[in-house]
Amino acid sequence: MRVKVIMMLCVLLLSTTVSTANPGGKGDDVRSRDCAGSCHASSSSNGVSTATLDITFPNEVYAGLLIEVQTSIGSVDVSSNSMVGMTLLINSDGAKDLPANDGWEVVTDPNGGSNNYVEISDTFSSQNPVNRSWTLRAPSEPGTYGLYLAVQHGTPEGGVAMSGISDIQSVLVEEVPENLPRLSPGWEPTNTRGLGEETTITLETMNTDSATVELMNGAEVIVIPVVDNQFTIPAAVNPGVVQWRVILEGEGPTQSSPWFRITAQEPGWEVDETALYLQSIALFLLCAGLVIMQRPKNEDIIKDYDNTDHVVATVETSLDTISDESQSPPIPAGGIPEGWTMEQWEYYGHEHLEKMARGEV
Amino acid sequence: MISAGTFHVISTELTIGMFALSGVAFLLCMLKKGPDSREAVAHWALLGGLIATPLAIISGINASPGDGIDNPLLANKMLLSMTSAGLAIGVLIRRKMGAAVDARHAGIGMASVGLMLTTAGMGGEFSRGETLLLFVPKETVMIFPLWASIVLIILGIAILSKSAIEHRS
Repeated sequence: MRVKVIMMLCVLLLSTTVSTANPGGKGDDVRSRDCAGSCHASSSSNGVSTATLDITFPNEVYAGLLIEVQTSIGSVDVSSNSMVGMTLLINSDGAKDLPANDGWEVVTDPNGGSNNYVEISDTFSSQNPVNRSWTLRAPSEPGTYGLYLAVQHGTPEGGVAMSGISDIQSVLVEEVPENLPRLSPGWEPTNTRGLGEETTITLETMNTDSATVELMNGAEVIVIPVVDNQFTIPAAVNPGVVQWRVILEGEGPTQSSPWFRITAQEPGWEVDETALYLQSIALFLLCAGLVIMQRPKNEDIIKDYDNTDHVVATVETSLDTISDESQSPPIPAGGIPEGWTMEQWEYYGHEHLEKMARGEV
Repeated sequence: MISAGTFHVISTELTIGMFALSGVAFLLCMLKKGPDSREAVAHWALLGGLIATPLAIISGINASPGDGIDNPLLANKMLLSMTSAGLAIGVLIRRKMGAAVDARHAGIGMASVGLMLTTAGMGGEFSRGETLLLFVPKETVMIFPLWASIVLIILGIAILSKSAIEHRS
């Protein structure tokens, strides 16, 4: 038996793989570099990534307006699942490094969400750089700002978690010209939509006389008219991403917005949560009840309150005693003494018989 | 303060550790091997795991991304953990009522442990995309209609009440 157990343990131990990372990733989220690195165990146990990392800003960046930022990852060999986690940061300290700390807002990340950390699966290799674009809202205060691009990924051999960060990429954020046609600061683009449904988007603009929308359909660009600040993107048949941008014209110089991405996705999995919770409670009660109801056979269960047998036995004993006590002594051959009643004989007959035995009577 | 995700890891490891210990002790009870303390260990570890279970469930719901239960794995985790908790409570109460730790009792205890470990395995797949539960149909969720769940709740309460009355009589 012991040998079998030891052999089983050995097989289990030998079947494990050595890995210090989360091979499936941790999911897109708002993460600082420290948290992003913790997905790959301790940062001290990470290897240094050989990836070449780059961030490209547009020529002009105005305070509080939307911009498109290009990120590039090259010269990197990753694990078999071809996944890289990439993070936009404002410093390399691992603390207070979220873009929001400097006033940046991630409006649309490469995966269609609004996170500074995203996980990308693509054909990463030392020969093939992978580009992704982010839509950011610039800080509302003019000045010089910087962004870093950090990555973490596995290796083709596995076992070591690689981590890397780019040099700082600085950008001058300028004050917005007074008459610049632009989208309103409070306007947010739509990032997702369902399949088979047209998407009507309402624009909010400033200093704009007219606007047209360009929709990128593969390599082709389709112009969509904007009527009453609204335009409609045709329904998507399959899951995928379409990109669009708006050309704003007014008194000031004509402006193009960043390319916005709308991800068409199948409806998410839904469940009636009330039914689920009720069923959980039902299973809980039913299982508990069924187990408690299982009374083992031939088991002595002490019945503290059932004294029927004891009472019956006690009563029978008492009745026997009473019956025995009520029996009259045997009447001698000469009969009971003269002048005695039977009642006297029942009580004192024993003494009379004893006296007769001793010859006193 | 720690995040719900970190707290979920703590409470989950607490729960799974104690359930696993209980499972091993129940296995020894079934085999009738090992130290005499196996019965006590099995039931006390099960109780400890049971106490930690609500913490794991609540922190897990708070830590999961998105709104509510939007993944079949989460729904199955909920159903399995509640079923396991029901079996565990039944085993503990049955033992408290004086039932012997026979093969059936130990088997129910091991079933409870198995369901809880399956729940944990699904959690691993949900968070890391990896699992050893390759052949378990985790993406399939069987949801009863509302009326059926209500009937089962009533039935469960009736069975529990009947058992309690029988125990007192």
